[in-house]
Amino acid sequence: MAQLSETYACAPSTERGRGILISGDPKSNSILYCNGRSVLIRYLDRPLHVHVYGEHGYPVTVARYSPNGEWIASADVSGTVRIWGTHNEFVLKKDFKVLSGRIDDLQWSADGMRIVACGDGKGKSLVRTFMWDSGSTVGDFDGHSRRVLSCDFKPTRPFRIVTCGEDFLVNLYEGPPFKFKLSIRDHSNFVNCVRFSPDGNKFITVSSDKKGLIYDAKTGDKMGEFSSEDGHTGSIYAVSWNPDSKQVLTVSADKSAKVWEISEDGNGKVVKTLVCSETGAVEDMLVGCLWQNDHLITVSLGGIINIFSTSDLDQAPSSFSGHMKNVTTLTVLKNNQKMLSSSYDGIIIRWIQGVGYSGKIIHKDIPQIKCLVAVEEEIVTSGFDNKVWRIPLSDGECGDAEYVDVGSQPMDVSLAISSPRLALVSTDSGVVLLNGAKVVSNIKLGFPVTACAIAPDGSEAIVGGRDGKLHIYSVSGDTLKEEAVLEKHRGAITVIEYSPDVSMFASADGFHESVVWDRASKEVKLNNMLFHTARLNCLAWSPNSTLVATGSLDTCVVIYEIGKPASSRITIKHAHLGGVYGLAFIDDLNVVSSGEDASVRVWRLTQE
Amino acid sequence: MAVHDDCKLKFLELKAKRNFRFIVFKIENQQVVVEKLGGPSETYDDFTASFPADECRYAVYDFDFITEENCQKSKIFFIAWSPDSSRVRMKMVYASSKDRFKRELDGIQFELQATDPSEMSLDIVKARAF
Repeated sequence: MAQLSETYACAPSTERGRGILISGDPKSNSILYCNGRSVLIRYLDRPLHVHVYGEHGYPVTVARYSPNGEWIASADVSGTVRIWGTHNEFVLKKDFKVLSGRIDDLQWSADGMRIVACGDGKGKSLVRTFMWDSGSTVGDFDGHSRRVLSCDFKPTRPFRIVTCGEDFLVNLYEGPPFKFKLSIRDHSNFVNCVRFSPDGNKFITVSSDKKGLIYDAKTGDKMGEFSSEDGHTGSIYAVSWNPDSKQVLTVSADKSAKVWEISEDGNGKVVKTLVCSETGAVEDMLVGCLWQNDHLITVSLGGIINIFSTSDLDQAPSSFSGHMKNVTTLTVLKNNQKMLSSSYDGIIIRWIQGVGYSGKIIHKDIPQIKCLVAVEEEIVTSGFDNKVWRIPLSDGECGDAEYVDVGSQPMDVSLAISSPRLALVSTDSGVVLLNGAKVVSNIKLGFPVTACAIAPDGSEAIVGGRDGKLHIYSVSGDTLKEEAVLEKHRGAITVIEYSPDVSMFASADGFHESVVWDRASKEVKLNNMLFHTARLNCLAWSPNSTLVATGSLDTCVVIYEIGKPASSRITIKHAHLGGVYGLAFIDDLNVVSSGEDASVRVWRLTQE
Repeated sequence: MAVHDDCKLKFLELKAKRNFRFIVFKIENQQVVVEKLGGPSETYDDFTASFPADECRYAVYDFDFITEENCQKSKIFFIAWSPDSSRVRMKMVYASSKDRFKRELDGIQFELQATDPSEMSLDIVKARAF
């Protein structure tokens, strides 16, 4: 039996030039954000327990709690809104096709009866308001000609809806049934966000023209604006009110967040500027914010979430992050129990079991990562060009990288663990033996090589081809001598791994089968490992060489025990939405897996 | 495609007298004949082992289990074993004669088609029975 023990969740997916919207529930101290097709519910006091809702068929853009905290409405790029319950396993209440294009913002009315959704679409359907349970439209929303970026409901009577968009307009509608009242043309660039104050007296609009304007909520008259001294020097992407309606938090492309004091006559003055720049690069542009209870939460373009405490704004924030894209590789560094995960966009993240996020390793020379292997002192990676990089790792910090050009794109990289200077890289036409950063030999094998493994002492190499055959070679100096060819697999070999005690090796293919072989006799040791239904992506051995875990595109992880028949396996279903791409054992009872949903999960195995 | 009388007789014995755990059938010379009989003490693993890995077979298995209300029940499964590694001609022959053969055996409760050993594992059989 396997139980989920920790989830290292993904970061919100961000896009340059646009803000993102995160929301939360003050009562349960949780925040909601979206990545890919999943909506993530994270509890600020329990960061390792994350709930994921993955029922959307298209990438999700925004999700919000209803005012009573019982329902969540989430919207995606196809224009569909799904309303589902917070408890009771996210039971779906209703789903509606609201707009004909992507939905950018969604708000509940204060009584929880109506929902307004705005976004992109053709012609009339840029904004729609509907009853939450029946979906019937409540009002006509003309007045915008381009994508509507944000909308909000006035929380108190008389009810108003305000919308703003790429046509630089801010429109006010009154109702219900909602009708166009007036249009405000004070901004000179995209209006990114509009929010009513919780007491219903004012609303603020922020724009890419670096200004923030404050209006009276009932009449729409301009009351004042953010003072220009100490103001933002970049587009302002989002704004969030303090629950007592006296202060707001804004975030901007100038990499800072500012807390403004809003006076009764509607003018804003900067109280504090919060800078959380780490590297000063584009990734530090802030794109989302939320003011909840005593926390100020900001999200950067690179996916880092910073939480400041209102009681002490000078204190450094607690920050955490995650991957934003498919996590393709996962390794465990033995001596300090850290896990390294990497995604194809070149981001490597360190995780510590029990704690979570422990830091990012971003190396300027490595824009993309396809294969990654790590031992204690260094990381070897390859991307989509012909280079293999070796980066020394000391105490978690990267040294200078050196690279070697192997002639064509590397398909698989394997390190001889006991003598890590030796590496075997497989390419489309053969294999390349590396010693340190020098090519020892480049051997053309005559068949397309898909996976390779080199024994820990560097004396033997196993190469798998697209035809499903496993070739075993003995390595002497710079030549390979073929010892045996094993034919059992029915699809291209995807992974080959030696067991830690080097007595066995396991191979997995694209036809959902994996096999464990005895190294000395080349005989099949464990047969019928056929319990997946799609291509196998990854394979891992437990440190005591008794368990083999396989992960597949079918989202499941299956763990087999050597010595027992394959049918007595442990299956973890739906480990990662979209497919499992990385697997490793932390110790004999804990497996960590990573997948296309950009999360990393730790599972605890228990004996039945 | 003829069905040998022995098949029907052995099946009736399994149903009425319960002296076999399973019967494996083979198509030989345009006829369905009995290939192997399993005694009442044989297990499901013995049953799985009596299938060749690259040839098709038919089989019936008598599955005993205890329900939630604590009653001993018995269900007869018909298994069409058609592994992916067998020849296409054999798969075609077995597939086309399966229906007619099944009609001759009266009293089958569940049917299962397996193309590799994972598709006829014991938990799938248990899930169908409950």
